[in-house]
Amino acid sequence: MKINEVPQDDVPYFSEGIKKGNYALDDQGKYVMVPSKGWDVDEFINSLAFNEYEAKVEETRKAVLEGKKSPLAYYMELRQMIPEFLGKTAGIATFRVKRHLRPEIFAKLKEPVLDSYAKALSITREELKTVPHNSQER
Amino acid sequence: MSTEITAGGKPFVHHHSAHCESGVTSALFRDKGVEISEAMIFGIGSGIFFGHLPFVKWVGLPISTFRSQPGAVFRKAAKRLGGEFVTKRFRNPRKGMDELKRVLKAGQIVGLTTNIYWLSYFPNRFRFQFNGHNIIALHEIKNGFRVSDPVLDHPVDCLTEDIERARFAHGPLEPHGFMYYPKEIPRNPDLRTACIKGLKDSCNMMLRIPLPIFGIRGIRFLAKRIIKSPETLGFNEACRQLANIVRMQEEVGTGGAGFRFMYAAFLQEAAELFGSDDLARLSQEMTAIGDVWREFAVVSARIVKQRGQAQDNFSKAGGLMLVCAGREEALFRELNIVVRKLKA
Repeated sequence: MKINEVPQDDVPYFSEGIKKGNYALDDQGKYVMVPSKGWDVDEFINSLAFNEYEAKVEETRKAVLEGKKSPLAYYMELRQMIPEFLGKTAGIATFRVKRHLRPEIFAKLKEPVLDSYAKALSITREELKTVPHNSQER
Repeated sequence: MSTEITAGGKPFVHHHSAHCESGVTSALFRDKGVEISEAMIFGIGSGIFFGHLPFVKWVGLPISTFRSQPGAVFRKAAKRLGGEFVTKRFRNPRKGMDELKRVLKAGQIVGLTTNIYWLSYFPNRFRFQFNGHNIIALHEIKNGFRVSDPVLDHPVDCLTEDIERARFAHGPLEPHGFMYYPKEIPRNPDLRTACIKGLKDSCNMMLRIPLPIFGIRGIRFLAKRIIKSPETLGFNEACRQLANIVRMQEEVGTGGAGFRFMYAAFLQEAAELFGSDDLARLSQEMTAIGDVWREFAVVSARIVKQRGQAQDNFSKAGGLMLVCAGREEALFRELNIVVRKLKA
């Protein structure tokens, strides 16, 4: 790859100003570091994965509003975690975390348990009790 | 490039790097007065690799890696250059943070292994649960730390809370607050011996691991799976997996084409160091292979985007990967012979 071949595509929404370092050859055939503004291919591939994740979060949010899952499930999805790692972070056994994903069991949780979840997920206890009514909030 | 002052009053020059681990390691060496580039560290630490792990799932997708396991580049490069490092892991996050503050106060910059999801200075789209990102803490500021993240082009501020979460995150490859800083680094490390060791190790890793999922055999294995994937997995799932491979190849911190360009840069530097024309030629060949990898990324993206409408199909993408495998095999076989002629 030569310097002028390093992609400099405009994808501001994707890169948010972060420039990626690419190695490329200069005129003398020497390798130099060239910051790249972004690349369409990269942006497209990454957005696939990101959209998949967002869709999953949104699906869970709706399930919570319908009363099929507990808000804990939503925040777990939002933080890209699975019960095993959420349990480890919060200091709660995995099988209990899985139970707490059911709304009727989640509703009966005591405050200390909620607090450890809130801390693990980096949100407040109040936030943990509900999910946002509109999509996308971080 | 921008300069910062550490707590010890020493200037620290931030270099934009392609890969986090080699970037951090080279910055720690430079801080001790040893001028060494990122590519050099990457080559000496034998960072280049290939592996496809179909049975290890990450968000439901198999892992393909273009580099050796996280932590190996630092470990190997430090050892081969004769640097002595202090490395620490902690059970107690409080102790881990106190130790970090203590070392920073003493004027020493510290390398940290972190979880990229909790580093809030990244845009949301780059944030995912991955426990192998390396950064350098420069000094303490109010409510946080000044941080030099090698994949960014300038140092940033990061909250103490974020750093603590990132260092003590759970999941695969838990960092356990891993921190490292140089204790003693030789003034003039023996670059030539270190390079030879790194080159030999890379050849072995690419050619001689007796498992079909690593090295050159791993590339062939994956290429054949890609060609068959529309039949075995169905078109949609095949696209998803193909996109994931490209993501691993071009995602933040590979320097382009799954580290192949960075390795070419290393071969070029090594060629100058040894005055070897063979290495210079191999560097050019590596660049050419990198270009084929890039083409693979472009073709794959087109397949996924156009849903197989155009003439691009999975056999073409897999075919490009087989080309890479063939050329890389020839390159590493030749390198294996060339490296034995080099004099330390």
